[in-house]
Amino acid sequence: MDPFESIKQTFFQECDELLTDAEQGLLAMEAGDADSETINAVFRAVHSVKGGAGAFGLEQLIRFAHVFETIMDELRSEKMALTDEVAKTLLRAFDVLADHVAAARDGGEVEESRSAGILGEMKALIGADGVEEEADPDEDFGFVPMLVSIDGDDAAPEPASIDFGGETPAFEAAPDATDSAEIWRIEFAPKSEMYVKANEAGLVLRELARLGPTEVTIDGSDVPPLDQLSAEQAYARWTIILTTEADEAAIREVFEFVEDDCVLSITCENSDDAAAAASAEASLDLAALLARVQGAPAAAPPAPVQDLVDVSAMIARAQEVPAPASAAAPRAAAPAAAPTPITRAAPPPANANPAPAPQATIRVDLDRVDRLINAVGELVIQQAMLSQRVTESGLARSSNVALGLEDLELLTREIQDSVMAIRAQPVKSVFQRMPRLVREVADMTGKRVRLVMEGEGTEVDKTVIERLTDPITHMLRNAIDHGLETPEQRAEVDKPAEGLVRLRALHRGGRIVIEVQDDGRGINRPRVRGIAVDKGLISEDQVLSDEEVDNLIFLPGFSTAETISDISGRGVGMDVVRRSIQGLGGRISISSEPGKGSKFTLSLPLTLAVLDGMVVTAADQTLVAPLSAIVESLTPKAEDIHYVGGKDAVIRIRDTFVPLIDVGVALGFRDTPIANGSGVAVLVESEGGGKAALLVEAIQGQRQVVIKSLEANYQQIEGVAAATILGDGRVALILDVDALVTTIRRKPAARPEKRMAG
Amino acid sequence: MTKTVLTIDDSRTMREMLNHALVEAGYRVLQAVDGVEGLEVLAANSGQIDVVITDINMPRLDGFGVIEGVRADPAHRATPILVLTTESDAAKKERARSAGATGWIVKPFNPVKLVDAVRRVAA
Repeated sequence: MDPFESIKQTFFQECDELLTDAEQGLLAMEAGDADSETINAVFRAVHSVKGGAGAFGLEQLIRFAHVFETIMDELRSEKMALTDEVAKTLLRAFDVLADHVAAARDGGEVEESRSAGILGEMKALIGADGVEEEADPDEDFGFVPMLVSIDGDDAAPEPASIDFGGETPAFEAAPDATDSAEIWRIEFAPKSEMYVKANEAGLVLRELARLGPTEVTIDGSDVPPLDQLSAEQAYARWTIILTTEADEAAIREVFEFVEDDCVLSITCENSDDAAAAASAEASLDLAALLARVQGAPAAAPPAPVQDLVDVSAMIARAQEVPAPASAAAPRAAAPAAAPTPITRAAPPPANANPAPAPQATIRVDLDRVDRLINAVGELVIQQAMLSQRVTESGLARSSNVALGLEDLELLTREIQDSVMAIRAQPVKSVFQRMPRLVREVADMTGKRVRLVMEGEGTEVDKTVIERLTDPITHMLRNAIDHGLETPEQRAEVDKPAEGLVRLRALHRGGRIVIEVQDDGRGINRPRVRGIAVDKGLISEDQVLSDEEVDNLIFLPGFSTAETISDISGRGVGMDVVRRSIQGLGGRISISSEPGKGSKFTLSLPLTLAVLDGMVVTAADQTLVAPLSAIVESLTPKAEDIHYVGGKDAVIRIRDTFVPLIDVGVALGFRDTPIANGSGVAVLVESEGGGKAALLVEAIQGQRQVVIKSLEANYQQIEGVAAATILGDGRVALILDVDALVTTIRRKPAARPEKRMAG
Repeated sequence: MTKTVLTIDDSRTMREMLNHALVEAGYRVLQAVDGVEGLEVLAANSGQIDVVITDINMPRLDGFGVIEGVRADPAHRATPILVLTTESDAAKKERARSAGATGWIVKPFNPVKLVDAVRRVAA
């Protein structure tokens, strides 16, 4: 991928995290339990969003984030007090900020009036001239086109400036002087502070040489004898004659980091005389300098060999000086061909056994994890097939092969669990989006809502997480729009004006359960019943329990124009929600108490990849029933089976009667039911609490199966949730227990659906 | 010889941008997510880091703390440190300078300028 795009993706990913952090901080601020670090963290998050936006030239986002950041800055420096009003404004501004990020990501636009409105409010908080406008966006953020240059060398605007692998380019590599070139005289006298900050004169000279041919003269007259040399002091001065087309600003830029720590003069002297003068100066007698360094008078004859030996000794001592020696000494005189060994300390041993940075987490492409999951799925199947073959071959259970296989099975399980754990994520990521939704819906409906969230740390497979958002959104909208009363209505029934909505996640029986509970008016059962009768979903005289009436809202065709409001409906009925949840092997139900509120309960398998199942045989077909739905299995006696209305069978289990469903018939494998009194009944319970006994010919045993989607490979079939591959390589269908139970229990309701389907 | 740059920034986007531009330019890059981790990485690679690039406002330990920590390591007393500043905020730049920063990079940076700045301080 284009690195620019890839980094941009990273930016938006990071934005999600930053916004999450910011929202949490803002919520804490609103609740009044934010300390200075919380405020600073929000500031940092917004600051980082702005920083990244700047890098990608996202103007709208930059402007909005800038004002937001300004407020956060005022708050953290305590120039502004954190009032309830400020916190509430910031929360609303946060929503718009999130919209700006989304708009930048998806190439959309944030509604101008909305953005401008909240911007105005924020500016009002700061005060009229509190916001310093981003002075010149072109200057600050205008380099975007240049970012492209990171991708290839062809786009680099200054070829010379990116060429610096290994050794620095020789001075001769500088561009040739042309007619428009001017001659500059630069006097450069570093102060010791410059070296303390790890700047080096030599590097500055090297940079200058990139601008054009240079003639460098070093004035080493202040360099003391070597034994008096201090590693922390600056002694050398340079005069550089530079011939370049670059302007003064470009030359000054070279000195950007050092200009406060040196004496610098830059003059343009476009005359041959100046150049000649410089040349003369450049012929400084290096021997004289060396002599000075050695403590001898400049005019002295060349030092005898004995003296040179002493110099070596001094050099050796000099090298014992700590690292800054290399920075502080006139080693930078290199261009003037000074004998560099004089003060060069040993360079740090770069690249010797580089230790990696400590890392507790790694980021892995989801594709790779998915491939691993798939492979583990196949491993489970292979392992099952192998076990079956070994069993069929008649090997003793105690044989080495069988024992080894047992170990393999344990290991396979462990691998599977570990792989699943990789994908497991807390539902937090979904829950975190909800406070905003609640704020919006509350705003639109004029209701006051307090959202309480519990169990955010509950973990579930990533694929499940992704599919939780829509149903939860729907349930919350429904709870606020239909469940909660207006503050006035609540006052009439002595409820606090603020309605309570509780969103909760928990693990129960190998599934994740999500509950959305409100303390509103509850379901208006007579009305729901009336609608259902009007729509022909139930007959007028049908007897239904309260719970059954409540759950009528999930029936297809129940939603009416009257009940679909902009907020809760969005044109989608609860039946669609239920269907999508069932598609994931999940169930949804509602319970309600008039005047006290309603509770949606949604349950989903923790993973969509494997399932603990009971393998059964019905009509010569091998089928799998999800173990989580099974209560018990029993052998039905003929006298326990009764027929209602001459056709629908029920079975008496202890003191209760439950519908008896012949699976072979229900799925259309055969027309005639199993002979009375034979076969095995498996008692199952649906999420709605409905029970039924599934009549099959035999139970083969319990097995973990890998779920293969039928929809992806074939199409959806009523009563069948998915398929799997068994140990012997055959495909087996996985029963959708809920659908089977519901079909029987709500037969009258199911009929219109069939008509519609046909 | 390949030079090593330690980049310290709490923004992943920023780290990736730095990393990309510097690696492209032939540097070896080490990364840290805040000042504390930055100094840990420095300690683990003591004497092998040629340039440090650090953000200012970071959780746990900020950029000024990083400068102090780097300068306190005898092996890195003379290692160039570049600070990242978003605003060309003179006060912050000055504070970083007096703490011992070698130079600065104004965000958002252009990769060419970034590499330019690194080269300007790296021997």
